[in-house]
Amino acid sequence: MFDNYVLTDNSLENVKKDGEITGYKMRTRITYYRGIPLSMVHDIQVEVDGQEVPRESIRFSPDGEIYFTLEEMKTVTSYKWEYGQEGIVYVEQAGGLPAGEHTIKLTQVSRVAYIPVPFSGSQTKTLTVI
Amino acid sequence: MSSIKRAVSLYSYQDEYVRGKLSLEGCLQELAEIGVEGVEVITDQMFHNTPETDDASIKNWKRIVKETGIVPVCNDIFINTNLYHNRMLTKKENLDFLKKELVQAHNLGFPMVRLVSATPADIIEEALPLAEELNVIMALEVHAGMAFDNAMTKKFTDIMFKLNSPYLGLVVDTGIFCRRHPRVSTAFFLDQGLNPEIVKYIDDIFASGDDPLELSHNKLPEDLEKMVRSRIDREYIIFAGGYENKDFSVLDPYMPYVKHFHGKFWEMTEEGTEYSIPYKELIEYLKEKGYEGYIASEYEGGRFALPGTEIDAVTQVRLQQDMLRSYI
Repeated sequence: MFDNYVLTDNSLENVKKDGEITGYKMRTRITYYRGIPLSMVHDIQVEVDGQEVPRESIRFSPDGEIYFTLEEMKTVTSYKWEYGQEGIVYVEQAGGLPAGEHTIKLTQVSRVAYIPVPFSGSQTKTLTVI
Repeated sequence: MSSIKRAVSLYSYQDEYVRGKLSLEGCLQELAEIGVEGVEVITDQMFHNTPETDDASIKNWKRIVKETGIVPVCNDIFINTNLYHNRMLTKKENLDFLKKELVQAHNLGFPMVRLVSATPADIIEEALPLAEELNVIMALEVHAGMAFDNAMTKKFTDIMFKLNSPYLGLVVDTGIFCRRHPRVSTAFFLDQGLNPEIVKYIDDIFASGDDPLELSHNKLPEDLEKMVRSRIDREYIIFAGGYENKDFSVLDPYMPYVKHFHGKFWEMTEEGTEYSIPYKELIEYLKEKGYEGYIASEYEGGRFALPGTEIDAVTQVRLQQDMLRSYI
């Protein structure tokens, strides 16, 4: 129901490190109504132009400074993804995405305290690489 | 005029907050402007790094409270029992988290914490001495869909009756008094392809004086199962169980322990009433019982905003507050 928070407009960009494009990133807000420790972010899934991104290539940052793999995140209880704070989803991919429009589907799955099954938020948007 | 007081849960303004239209300070200024006495806050929503909010945030909060004159009434807290993916927290871990929340609530000046439905009841007795020391009431949320007949709620109320402490009580969600299914929810699901036959089926249950609570928790009756065509249909039926249609008398045995109300609402109508909940009759009941606590507006209609439409919780809360004021 808060699915329209998932994918921030104009937030898809290639990431350059030491002169090389190492991947791409996008911004996302939590589809829940409060902040949770990262260990409760159950999963993040990315699909680009209908193609699913391998889980191992995905990194998440709650603040744009610290990044974790999804496996690492299972044990991260000392940092929270705060409500309203845009998290960064980074996909490691040499060369990044080709210029132009891409159809991005981003899904986030969280465990919350009183709902027995993890719940997910998903949004698909056509974004242009910045 | 009775002694019932009015508050607003900032849960109501979550969309305004997330979009940067209202800051925490802006929320309290809005309450001051419309003459609301008290405020309820989900600290996990508008404070960072809870339950270990830093001193600067606490100081800033106290300044805002002082400048606006709004009374902190209730702090909605959560125990993240499923913090880890591979196990539930132990009783000791849950208790430690609850204690941290009590200390934080005290530091922020809240006289009460709202324990979310399904808070483990087995930690309550051990947390009580700290609650007494800090002068913070622990009150369990009795939420529609999980009200008094729910096993977890009953575990808590058994302990509450047994200990009979002024620091233990209940926060009642008025969503247990729905006389009609919220039509903004229906419109939202219809927009996504909900089968209109199911809408009628659920509406008829409410019209008959009953609610779909049992239905949404159990195997569907054959005639309803036949109407289910999609995931949306099934979701609608499950969510319908989150609106109960109980008589006010369900509160009778609990009234001495009711510390606070969540004045849940989804839609203020043009007539100035809530579409689903008969607030006039509810407030008459509460006056009769001598209730002297707060009713906090909790706007939940925002989640049913149709695609492409703006959420305007500020106006909805103002309308509900006008209604509450007129009945009180």
